[in-house]
Amino acid sequence: MRQTTLSVALEVEPVSVDRLSALIDSVKCQEEDPASGYAEKYGRLQAGVPVLHFMSMSVFPSADYDPVFVIEANFDGPPGVFWGQMEATLGPQLRAMLRCCKKPANRDGPLFVAVTSPDSRYPVAPYFAARSLRPSAFHHGNRGLDRGRILDEGRLFLATRKALAQPDPAAPNPYRLMPAARIHTELRAALKSAFPWLEQPASVRISLAERIGDWLRVAGFLFLVLVGLSIPGMIVAFISPWPRFLVLFGIAAVLIYLGLYRMRAPLAGKGAPTRSGGLTIESLSFQNDLTSLAHPVTLTIGVLLFLGIYGVVASVIATWLGIAVTGYWFDKLWWPSFRVVALGLLSGVFFTLPAIVLWLRWLELRDSSQDAPPLNPELLREMARREDRIAQNHMGSLVLVKPGVLRMALFRAGHLGLGLIVRATATEERHAQNVRLDFIEKAHGGLTLAWGSGIGFPPTRFLVLDGASHGRQFKAWARHSMTVTRFWFSAYKDYTVDQIERHARIADGLRKPTLTPKEAAEWARDL
Amino acid sequence: MSATAGRDVLRPPANGFKAWLTACLMAYVPLGFRVLRTIRPILRFGNTIVVTRYDDVREVFLNDAAFRVPYKDKLDIIMGGHPFFLSMDETPEYRRDTAAMRLVVRPADITERLAGEVERRAEHIVANAKGHLEIVDSLVRRVTFEVLGAYFGIPDPPGEDLRVWATRLFEFQFADPGSDPALRREVDTIAPALRAHINGLIEKRRASGSFSDDVLGRCLAMHAQGVPGFSDDQIRSALMGFIVGGPPQPPMVVPQALEQLLRRPEALAGAQRAARADSNELLACYIFEAMRFDPLAPALPRTATRDSTIAAGTRRAAAVPRGATVYVAFSSAMMDQRRLPDPHLFNPRRLPHEYIHFGYGLHTCFGIHMNQALLPLMLKPLLKRPGLRRAPGRSGYLSKRGAFADRLHVEYE
Ligand code: HEM
Repeated sequence: MRQTTLSVALEVEPVSVDRLSALIDSVKCQEEDPASGYAEKYGRLQAGVPVLHFMSMSVFPSADYDPVFVIEANFDGPPGVFWGQMEATLGPQLRAMLRCCKKPANRDGPLFVAVTSPDSRYPVAPYFAARSLRPSAFHHGNRGLDRGRILDEGRLFLATRKALAQPDPAAPNPYRLMPAARIHTELRAALKSAFPWLEQPASVRISLAERIGDWLRVAGFLFLVLVGLSIPGMIVAFISPWPRFLVLFGIAAVLIYLGLYRMRAPLAGKGAPTRSGGLTIESLSFQNDLTSLAHPVTLTIGVLLFLGIYGVVASVIATWLGIAVTGYWFDKLWWPSFRVVALGLLSGVFFTLPAIVLWLRWLELRDSSQDAPPLNPELLREMARREDRIAQNHMGSLVLVKPGVLRMALFRAGHLGLGLIVRATATEERHAQNVRLDFIEKAHGGLTLAWGSGIGFPPTRFLVLDGASHGRQFKAWARHSMTVTRFWFSAYKDYTVDQIERHARIADGLRKPTLTPKEAAEWARDL
Repeated sequence: MSATAGRDVLRPPANGFKAWLTACLMAYVPLGFRVLRTIRPILRFGNTIVVTRYDDVREVFLNDAAFRVPYKDKLDIIMGGHPFFLSMDETPEYRRDTAAMRLVVRPADITERLAGEVERRAEHIVANAKGHLEIVDSLVRRVTFEVLGAYFGIPDPPGEDLRVWATRLFEFQFADPGSDPALRREVDTIAPALRAHINGLIEKRRASGSFSDDVLGRCLAMHAQGVPGFSDDQIRSALMGFIVGGPPQPPMVVPQALEQLLRRPEALAGAQRAARADSNELLACYIFEAMRFDPLAPALPRTATRDSTIAAGTRRAAAVPRGATVYVAFSSAMMDQRRLPDPHLFNPRRLPHEYIHFGYGLHTCFGIHMNQALLPLMLKPLLKRPGLRRAPGRSGYLSKRGAFADRLHVEYE
């Protein structure tokens, strides 16, 4: 089942911000009220919106713009169904919240009026659907597991705990003495009747079509990036003979590398020791499996292959464009087109890309950073009060992107590309995942890359260095940009991402009637 | 007037090319709606508008101030000019009359006296049919009229068949878009006769001094206490409204639901398991899901009371001129994948908002709770039987006569 992630960001009427916060709080209170008629907290949302995994509602105040009401949601299936369920469950509350927001100036204005006018009975779902944004970068921790399956497999896990528990504290646990394959058979036999779905094969988590789609999107993105980088070179290649072209761009590239070399040093007193941003030599070494992109040989072959394919595809497209413009045919245009594309690519990789980095570095050296952002102690306390109460935390942060065309382009393309790559590689085997997770989620480099374009971010170096490595400064800045998550719903609040994967592995094993001793031993490690 | 007792409840089937064409076209209505939902969700031809998407259907139903029910003219003929809330706008009279009827048609009655009675009578019929049963008339219509007739306090008129009267009046009111003169002639006789019948019942009860605890009796008790909304005319109109608007419908939708289950062996097996496990709630999920594939009607009509817009602010926004007839395709809404997950899959675990079987908004069916509890129970004893299957030949497939389900024969062990 495909999971959807979306956000809705709505500008709030400044006078209505308290009312909006109160409305969100009242939804929270209703959901947490034991007298609501539901057996457990958040039972109404659990039952009414069965596709929902997570949802947050926050109101971001700012000195620079009017407050922004942000809803983020993660759910199974298409958005229309989700909003329909939300309307059926929280329709009146959502309408009241919309009435605190501003009428959008674009073509959604009339829809807003229809939904919020006094006594309106117009459905709210279409408005939220119209205002939904798909984030350019997102990551699903347990991709391909729909909510029902996560909950079912969680219950199965608890049942395995019970079945495996020592029946008599004085006697040894019988399971301890069994070989793994036998534990599997016994457990399966014990649990089959309570979990009849163990007899059915699990649905495919990520279908082949989806996987191919992910990689095609990455390829498409990289293709466009290469075209963009090649443009300056391609223009010059039209008029310049290739030896002259190579000399010209060679000299320019050397000058750029010199510039980069001179600007490589961190700002005085702002350097941080982490050099690689988490992308370590070990993570990209020959010890990795040869089939993994984390193996240098595979990576090099992959990159060269991609560049080769790019050269051919771009040349074909360029030839067709040439045919359309000049009226000449393929035989006349193929080689000139290929030459332009190849020279463009060379210049793109060796000149344009470093030139952009140089430009960026030049900007980085002039960036201002907010070393002591004002922190509202009351807000901090309220955030702390709501954090770490369950196995998951929600974090919402709103920042302004630094001005300038380069920053904007890098920010947009960077997030889009990062999102696509994370998504495609999320299906790769474990070590590749380690590269990704370390790099994006845990390492300072990932945080710096993702947030470094925000105004006031601690000084960065080459996009990924320094920045978030300034622990205290970064934390203060991040806290300053965050706000209280007024409402947070999780359909399985006690599970972490890893725990859910563990449940899935146990369930997958139990679905199979028999396991080989090796499979069983591997499987039993999760018990 | 000729006596109706013993006559076929439905009028003779229409013959000829027009009837044949209508039947053929009806079979393609779901496909037509599917196409419309995508390419022309709000279709307008002349002064007629058809809305097909879930959101728009809900919007029109909820906006009763702009889209009024068009039932008044015919209802006046049935009721002899006395008002009944089905044709009213949201006025103080509407609120008074519906609130009055809620005093006498009580939620507790469903569990305390109706549910058990429906199941018992259905069981009796199934047990006595010896393994071969016709569903529309011999099971559902019989159970519905017996149970609800007694509950409302309206027995068959002497020498007449209330099922025929109610079904004719229902057809005239809701399923006679062409205003058939022959039907009108029948109505001109039946309607005054039904009014006289109920007047007679009122007088007889009063004269007997004992009201007895059915809806009519409770109305008379309210009248005696001077509660507003219970004049004799109001009591008669309400009871007529219930008899005409209510019991003719289960014999339409319940056999249609069974036909849909018979087409889906897995769903049928699920419904049978629920019935055997005495899980009425789960059984109801199966029945209402089955009904989604062949609901009461394709659409309900409304009349625009003023110039307005449907789906304002969206690309499909459509202006509706005052006086236009709007067909609100609730059957299509229940198949709209924009709001229902995989609407073409049979899924007994759907959420309540995915169903619009009983109207929506101001004129939501007055008997909705009754229906939700009782319709599944009408099939429960049959579903409990092993070996439930279609009868051999064509009679094992549901046949229809105009808007009505006509015959469906099944067999069981
Ligand atoms: C299968 C059974 C039934 C179905 C499918 C059904 C369906 C409907 C529908 C769709 C409407 C809305 C009409 C519109 O908006 O134009 C309605 C209204 C109504 N129904 Fe039912 N109905 C059923 C049974 C009953 C029963 C048993 C009663 C008896 C109490 C009843 C009494 C009414 C009344 C009085 C209204 C008008 C409500 C109002 O105007 O506020 N119905 N029904």
